[in-house]
Order: sequence, then structure tokens, then C-alpha cells
Amino acid sequence: MKRKHSTFGVEEEENEINLTPMLDVVFIMLIFFIVTATFIKEAGIQVERPDTVTADTQDDASILVAINAVDEIWIDRQRRDPRAVRAILERMRAENPKGGMVIQADEDSTNETLVIVLEAAKAAGVSNVAIASDNE
Amino acid sequence: MSRHHLDDIHVEEDENEINLTPMLDVVFIMLIFFIVTASFIKESGIDVNRPDAPVTESKPEDANILVVINANDEIWIDRRLIDPRAVRANIERLHAENPDGSVVIQANKKSTNKVLVWVMDSSRNAGVYNISIADQR
Repeated sequence: MKRKHSTFGVEEEENEINLTPMLDVVFIMLIFFIVTATFIKEAGIQVERPDTVTADTQDDASILVAINAVDEIWIDRQRRDPRAVRAILERMRAENPKGGMVIQADEDSTNETLVIVLEAAKAAGVSNVAIASDNE
Repeated sequence: MSRHHLDDIHVEEDENEINLTPMLDVVFIMLIFFIVTASFIKESGIDVNRPDAPVTESKPEDANILVVINANDEIWIDRRLIDPRAVRANIERLHAENPDGSVVIQANKKSTNKVLVWVMDSSRNAGVYNISIADQR
């Protein structure tokens, strides 16, 4: 173990490094990240997304809605009734008005359910909706 | 034993009487947690929405490229059945004839998401990003 043997009394002072400015910086960074963190609620199920080549990365996705192969709608780890989707989206949008929405639809799900979710999103005022896919 | 050290607080030479090391540990752990969870969810997907309605019953101009997907996941353009691999070429051709037209996909309720996304992807590949989805009722 390397230890510098300095002439001043090491055993009396525990903190040789000037900690106060470092603490300031660390606290500022911490508060910054706490304030800018928005917690994204996972949909709750895994789906088989369709394959694409032209998809874009959705950086501001804050609402996730999953539709599985038997047309069940899952939001926030619970299965939801199609008629209740609009109210749920309105509530989630109120928490994060600028957030985008991503619909993780299974490739075998029918478009009827997709359109229900799209119309609910439009009625709730969600501005930016995308359909999730597996991009190559 | 540590209580006796409270008397030393009055000494001006010692600036750091509070034990900073555990607090620093906690603070760093929290900081790293928030840094790591800050940039995590990156979904890749196809944009559906535009300021105007993403779901429309009908489009006023006839100049739009209409793609119909029926209940059996067959793709019909211009009342002809199109092979899925030829969709992109067809849309390119129609777009060249009519550069202002947008693509309107009329998907049957029972058609699958796979075909819909395939058509959207082909359309974007063909250079047309203005896509609307309509529901056949």
C-alpha cells in the first residue's frame, strides 16, 4: 500500500482535499438530473414489433402503449379497456405535456385497435405519436 | 465516544467537522443513478402524427395516393392487387406523377399491424413521409 509520508500531521486531519467546492459541483449536478428526470412508465408486456428500415429514434417518448397479438391494450403494466384509454392518456399527458407517445404494437395486432389508440391520443391532445418498430 | 467531540466544534481551525465521506458516497450514488437512468429509453419507430388529423374518413382532393389493405392483408393500389415487395416502386411511380399527393392508407379493421407498418415503411422508402391512416368502417 503506497502512502505518502508527509511532514504535517496526517493522522489529525482526515480531509486533505478541499471538499466544499467539489460538493457544490456535485450537488448542482444532482439537482439538475433530479429536475430533468421524468419517469417513463413501461407498458408491461413484450411485443413482436414489425421490421422497418426507415424508422427514427424517438427521443422524447414519455407515454408507452402496448398492443399485443390478441389486441389487448396495456398501459403502465395493466391491461386497459379501450374506452378508458383516452382518459388515461389525458392524465399521462398532464404529467408531461411535451412528451411524445409510442405505440408498441405487435405485428399481428389488428389495425382496429391501433386506430382506437390513435384516435384516443388525438382526442387527448398528444402531439407526437409514433409506432414502434424493429429498425435495421 | 463521538459525543465528546462536539466540544471541538468551536475550534475555528477545523473547517470540516461533519463527516463528509459517507455523505459523499450517498450523493455520488444518487448522482450516478440519475445519470444512468436519464438517457435510457430510446424507442425507434415511425412517426404517425402531424398537426392535422392522423385519422381521416376522407380526403378532399383525389390526387392522393390511396392504398387499401383488406381484411386478408392484401395490398390494393389503384384497384389492382400489388405484391408487398412492389409497393415501394408503385408509390414511387405515383409520387412522381403527383408530387404533392400524400399517401392515404385505408386499412381494414382486421388487417394486421405488420402490413400497415410495411406499407408505411415502403412509402417512406419511396420518399413520401406524409402518410395518413384511415379506418374502413
